[in-house]
Amino acid sequence: MKAEQIFKELGLEFEKLKVKGNTLPRYKAEVKPEKLEEAIIKFKSNGFNHFVALSCIDWIKDEKFELVYHLFSYKEKEDVFLSIFLPRKEPKYKTLRHLFPQIETYEREIHEMFGVEFEGNDRLGEFILEDWDDMPPMRKDFDTVAYAKKKYESVPLIDEGGEKE
Amino acid sequence: MNENPLPSIIPDKEWKKIQRMLSKRSLWMIHFCTGCGAMEMPPVMTSRYDMERFGIIPMATPRQADLLLVTGYVATKTLKRIVRVYEQMQDPKYVIAFGSCPINGGIYWDSYNIIKRLDKYIPVDMYIAGCMPRPEAIMDAFLKLMKDIDEGKANGWMRYRKYYDQYRRNQMRIFKRWDE
Repeated sequence: MKAEQIFKELGLEFEKLKVKGNTLPRYKAEVKPEKLEEAIIKFKSNGFNHFVALSCIDWIKDEKFELVYHLFSYKEKEDVFLSIFLPRKEPKYKTLRHLFPQIETYEREIHEMFGVEFEGNDRLGEFILEDWDDMPPMRKDFDTVAYAKKKYESVPLIDEGGEKE
Repeated sequence: MNENPLPSIIPDKEWKKIQRMLSKRSLWMIHFCTGCGAMEMPPVMTSRYDMERFGIIPMATPRQADLLLVTGYVATKTLKRIVRVYEQMQDPKYVIAFGSCPINGGIYWDSYNIIKRLDKYIPVDMYIAGCMPRPEAIMDAFLKLMKDIDEGKANGWMRYRKYYDQYRRNQMRIFKRWDE
């Protein structure tokens, strides 16, 4: 089924994205967090059975996190982006790993890099970063220069008892 | 009674000289490809530049290697593995820091996860600057390292033993825990 038709059946507003050089149609829609699972199930049962990616955007001025669920249909050759907004102060959402198992890995990464909590996912532990001791590093208010200076430049050189510079 | 006494004519100092002369001619190398640097190694290894004519061959395990090549940036997670590989190697061992990232951070100067200077954590005998260094620069570094070994200047492994406390202290500032 075409994506436009599925959007109409779900009663969602959508926009067609224009990407230079890419002729495949792409659609983006904003979904309410409680409606998302239902929408993904609908898309999945209508040919959109490839889950491409789950990404997170930090809209620091609007105080929101945007989660984008990216689906693709091999039959219709169409991309669909479903996005939900979460409050930035307490970002919390439920896991959707029962729909596509690869969502678990994306959720682990987003939990580590942005600090978004996914209820029901029990593997949200240390993933890519090791021995991390600060706030999630991909948040916009994380000052990477200050952190690098504090952590790495303060490590002293090896004092070999020779002449100093 | 010992029927084959050691040739006492050659003093200990001279033995070390001979040892160095022999060991510089058979450097077995393990390259720890952390980042982009691995791309420059195939021309050096293969017929174009052919490092084997100097007795340098790539080796599979750290326990058989003399030379550790750290190519590219070193993340905190990688540093733990590099230290582990380095400590597995047998003396005498040498380290070459390859590219600008292990020297001062390179393009990752402001990254939250890249350690900036490798020589704060393990001793480095030779640096190759550049992003990326050409195979000629790598060959040049190998020849200079061989010269240093011959003259007894490449003694990073002795420094690691001597200042082990300081190296370990610096390493533990980055790692929260060691046994993982």
